[in-house]
Amino acid sequence: MYLAAGVAAAGGLALARPRLLRVGVGVLAGAAGLHALTFSLLHTADPTPPLTDASTAVSFMAWVGTVGFLLLLLRFRVAGLVALVAPVAFVSVFQAVLRLPHAEPAAVGSGSIPHAHVLLASAGLALLGLSGMAGALFLVEHRRLKHKRPLAARSPLPSLEALDRVNALALAVGFPLLTTGVVTGALWTQQMYGAPWTGTAHETWCLLAWAIYAVLVALRFGAQLGARRCAASAAVGFLFASFAVIGVEILT
Amino acid sequence: MKLLLAGMNHRSAPLDLRERLAVEDPAPALQKLVACDEVDEAVLLSTCNRVEVVVLTRNAEAARLRLRSLFRRELAGVDIGEAALDESLYLHRDTEAVRHLLRVASALDSMVVGEPQILGQTKEAYRAAVECGASGPILDRLFQRAFATAKRVRSDTRIAEGSISVARVAVGLAHQIFEDFRGKHALLVGAGEMVELSLAALRDEGIESIAVANRSAERASALAMHFGATAHGLDELPALLGAADVVLTSIGGSTPILTPSLVRTALRQRHGRPMFVIDIGVPRNADPAIDRFPEVFRYDIDDLAGVATANADDRRRELVRAEAIVAEEQQRFEGWFTALRAVPTIRHLRARVEAIRARELERALPRIPLDPAAREAVEALTRAIVNKILHAPVSRLRQEAEREEGMAYLEVARVLFGLDGPESPEPADSGGSPEES
Repeated sequence: MYLAAGVAAAGGLALARPRLLRVGVGVLAGAAGLHALTFSLLHTADPTPPLTDASTAVSFMAWVGTVGFLLLLLRFRVAGLVALVAPVAFVSVFQAVLRLPHAEPAAVGSGSIPHAHVLLASAGLALLGLSGMAGALFLVEHRRLKHKRPLAARSPLPSLEALDRVNALALAVGFPLLTTGVVTGALWTQQMYGAPWTGTAHETWCLLAWAIYAVLVALRFGAQLGARRCAASAAVGFLFASFAVIGVEILT
Repeated sequence: MKLLLAGMNHRSAPLDLRERLAVEDPAPALQKLVACDEVDEAVLLSTCNRVEVVVLTRNAEAARLRLRSLFRRELAGVDIGEAALDESLYLHRDTEAVRHLLRVASALDSMVVGEPQILGQTKEAYRAAVECGASGPILDRLFQRAFATAKRVRSDTRIAEGSISVARVAVGLAHQIFEDFRGKHALLVGAGEMVELSLAALRDEGIESIAVANRSAERASALAMHFGATAHGLDELPALLGAADVVLTSIGGSTPILTPSLVRTALRQRHGRPMFVIDIGVPRNADPAIDRFPEVFRYDIDDLAGVATANADDRRRELVRAEAIVAEEQQRFEGWFTALRAVPTIRHLRARVEAIRARELERALPRIPLDPAAREAVEALTRAIVNKILHAPVSRLRQEAEREEGMAYLEVARVLFGLDGPESPEPADSGGSPEES
């Protein structure tokens, strides 16, 4: 369904058909509903679902990102972002489906801290992902407008201002969530290994990603960084964070 | 007599060339043109999208060369070069010239097909030519036909239905930058028709505030009062620019008023918020160098052309009907224009018959004792007889002269009445307008 939503949205954008885009949004909402049902079933089958598994965490991240995006749609006219959100959600869920049967239960420790870490960090990354996608689309549209190649009058693509606002809001909410995710991660490590820092590649890269976002947040909300630079930073920041969380996990 | 139309428009010439040729006051150029032997009548149309001159001439080749010289050196004040001239200048003769002018006035040749401004601009160009004595009976008739055609096209087709002016295209484009116009501020520089249309368009979009800045504070005040905007002088531009999200400029002047330094200062006050600059002035009011600021989106009249093309597509069906009206009106004018060939023959015929009447009367009257009242009655009687006899052949000659084959009738008339013979008296006055014949 995520794939179908992506295809419908891409068609809507390519053919400048807002109705097709609305179909994409509807299918995406349906997909998010089914996705939520899957997590509920997982929870019914096992009160401690394997969220700490990287694949499942990425799938969960996709769900949070999708729900966050649907909530943003209530406030901003950014339906055109479905064309980016839906394919990313599809890839995230698809990889989880492929890997889940082979996933080995990890040593997760006890208590709520591991799950709190995964939930908070995933939600934070999901929103930062939205911020990055809005930034990427902003850059594409900005380039078109600067090069005097505007879209057709009835184009359903979001305005630069809407994308910038989504970028800012997702960053403003996503960064605190990521920060609490990092803190709970340190607590989890403390619980498991007796120290908050063990120097693994995952910890190092995640801390670097957090530091990058901290600088970005300071520049965005403190130094009045221009919209284009914010968009570029958000897009690059999300690529870096994705690598830090998922890429490093796969490589190690 | 031949009609010639030479010009450059948004399709044939780039904006930087058109803005060099733009004419604010056409009178001096027109007076110089009609002072030449080869040009009898002339009208000059200069808008942001075109500079065109239509002339009536008895020597088409000499007039063509004169028009090339006008576009090459005189309008710009400097030599634009042979290459630029060859690339950009188009020249239409007779039928094509008439068709082109009718299409221009009907907004079928406009960047935004069906836009309403061009008719007013054409009327203004014609009025200027009349005022400086450059237009005459033929161009009068041609322009009246053009205005009638434009009126028919607007009323009989849906070409103008939902038609959006350049200003509305620009406002539509602003929606790709801004989510909505709530809390946004607009600055309009100038007080012409384009600014007035833009004011209306922005007000319809619900923009928070509009400021109008102009050289003449009086005109700015009148506009501002009508649209609920605020009026300012150009000296307030630096202060106004910092608050402006949408800036629309359409003001005369040879140098840009939005310079990089002015815009840089304004952007500092805006803390990275975007500024949409719509420059519909020709010559341009905004220096293209401001494009280097990432927050600035500057669109000039040529940049807006791409956006307008989509609107033309929507009205393509109506274009066919509009073109049919143009063809019909073109034929009507050409009929009248062709009929002018009969004028010398008719005038000659009348002069010949009048001479006979006067001569015979002069011979007869001394032999008849008549008081002055009776003499006058006889004079009137002979005139009435002559007019009644000539009425049918003259009408027929006029009618036939509208057709290409009508030349045969003119030749037969000249032979039958001996108009080319040695005894044929010359008309007393060979000048005058065709309406007098």
